[in-house]
Amino acid sequence: MAPKKPATATGPAATSASTSTTTSSSSSQIDKIAGNIFQHYQKTTPQRTKLIDAFMAFLVIVGGLQFAYCILAGNYPFNAFLSGFSATVGQFVLTASLRIQTTEANKSEFPLVSPERAFADYVVGSLILHFFCINFIN
Amino acid sequence: MANLRSLLSFLLLALVGAVQAISANGGNRLLVILEDIADKDGYTKFLGDLEGRGFDIVYETPKSESLSLFHLGERSYDHVLLFPTKAKGLGPNLTPSVILQFINADGNILLALSGSTPVPSSLVSALLELDIHLPADRQGLVVDHFNYDTTSASEKHDVLLLPTPGPLRPDYKDFFALSGSDESGVIAFPNGLGQTLGQGALLSPILRAPSTSYSYNPKDESEAIEDLFATGSQLSLVSALQARNSARVTVVGSADMLSDKWFDASVKKVGEKSSVKTLNREFAKAVAGWTFGEIGVLRVNWIEHHLNEAGQSNASNPKIYRIKNDVTYSISLSEYSWDKYIPFTVPENDELQLEFSMLSPFHRLKLNPIISSEDSTTYSVSFKLPDQHGIFNFLVNYKRPFFNNVFEKNTVSVRHFAHDEWPRSFVISGAWPWIAGIAATVTGWLGFCALWLYSAPPATGESKKKQ
Repeated sequence: MAPKKPATATGPAATSASTSTTTSSSSSQIDKIAGNIFQHYQKTTPQRTKLIDAFMAFLVIVGGLQFAYCILAGNYPFNAFLSGFSATVGQFVLTASLRIQTTEANKSEFPLVSPERAFADYVVGSLILHFFCINFIN
Repeated sequence: MANLRSLLSFLLLALVGAVQAISANGGNRLLVILEDIADKDGYTKFLGDLEGRGFDIVYETPKSESLSLFHLGERSYDHVLLFPTKAKGLGPNLTPSVILQFINADGNILLALSGSTPVPSSLVSALLELDIHLPADRQGLVVDHFNYDTTSASEKHDVLLLPTPGPLRPDYKDFFALSGSDESGVIAFPNGLGQTLGQGALLSPILRAPSTSYSYNPKDESEAIEDLFATGSQLSLVSALQARNSARVTVVGSADMLSDKWFDASVKKVGEKSSVKTLNREFAKAVAGWTFGEIGVLRVNWIEHHLNEAGQSNASNPKIYRIKNDVTYSISLSEYSWDKYIPFTVPENDELQLEFSMLSPFHRLKLNPIISSEDSTTYSVSFKLPDQHGIFNFLVNYKRPFFNNVFEKNTVSVRHFAHDEWPRSFVISGAWPWIAGIAATVTGWLGFCALWLYSAPPATGESKKKQ
């Protein structure tokens, strides 16, 4: 404990200097990290998974718009809001399931589910969801 | 055979109708009870008028063995007219309970009292049941030192001269205004006994005493009168009670005012030189006519309600409606006037109202006259049913003094919307963004599926080639 005391005593100035340097460089650091992640994503992600991600982003935007409209303009008729919003949420969940089942890294989790089988399940589930939503919006 | 039978029953019905036509809410059997049957000679004009209007009069004395208001549990008479009797009691046939039973059985009673004969105790008790109070020792005399007849009662001041009564309240129909009489009509009230009335809503005075009159006990010999029974307009000289079953009881304080002597008698007011004719005959006709159901009787001819919406069935009187339906309610009313039904007109400042109620009214609406025929008026109102489902009543509750009670309740169910009666989402513009949201989701999904199938990974292609 004792020998370390001087080091800790000088610590604050040194650390403050080091943090100031890290903050000045952090924005470029974060840019770098983000760029890295993006490049990694671009390189390693299969075409179909990228497609799934784009569709999920689309669903988030559509759902967000509907929710914003509900807050701004009121929720009458409420069943229309529920079915419109839950259509995007349900579609998002189903698409996420498809992504989990078709990712190569998760192959060991679903040894019996082929990508074709996962896609067929997804189509059936989506059709049922659309049927429910259109029926409910009346 | 069937034809003959229907013809017979029709004839019978017509006969019954003819008998009923004399008085709307009862028959024409009138029992007149007098101290002595010979006393009827004093009232020939009054009783003759009644006979002339179609009443079938039977005369009895209280002591008579054959006197009975009921026979085998049914009323033997429709109306009873009681003149003053001297006996203290009225015997076992006219106990207070029999009199009240007669009223409960829809019988009408016209009771004439007098200031010179004590009222039988049986009648005092019966009137007490109706909240009509008489002086304590069953006797009293109304005098007025300012409104007496100078020709006949210059000494005793016990012949009151009264103007014809106006309506009790501005929104009541005035049955006792004596149409055909001029403004200076005078009613003589000789030798009368005043009553005081309780607070009941069923009681209403027809003729009140003037403010300068008072009632005292003529047996009291002392010079100064110590305790008065009542004074001024506290005293009711002619009072009416209409029971909840619309049976009518009228107490006329002075039997003499119905006698021949005072019909069209000449009287002279204090301070006036010319004498005038009394209007007692017209007044007696109005009072007896009202009591025996010749005027002021309302009849509900029919009630109809239907859906008032375009493109939907408007069948009469459905058992069920939906919330927020537009509905029209109509009621046809007639008023009996002496010998025929006439269209009923609601008095000015008054309203006939319809309640649409479940326990408490959800709507209370004015019914407006729409059609007036020869003998009836149809009142109608259109409205939107409340946003509340349940068992509702169309209720017309018209209870006014001097009109018989109208209480008509028609029950209907009100259901909520069926699942296919709501407006579709595309009709409501507020739902369009969310419809567009679903459309975007579905088309986005279709596009996604197409791209997914199109962008099959090359790896699988290689493996297929390998195979």
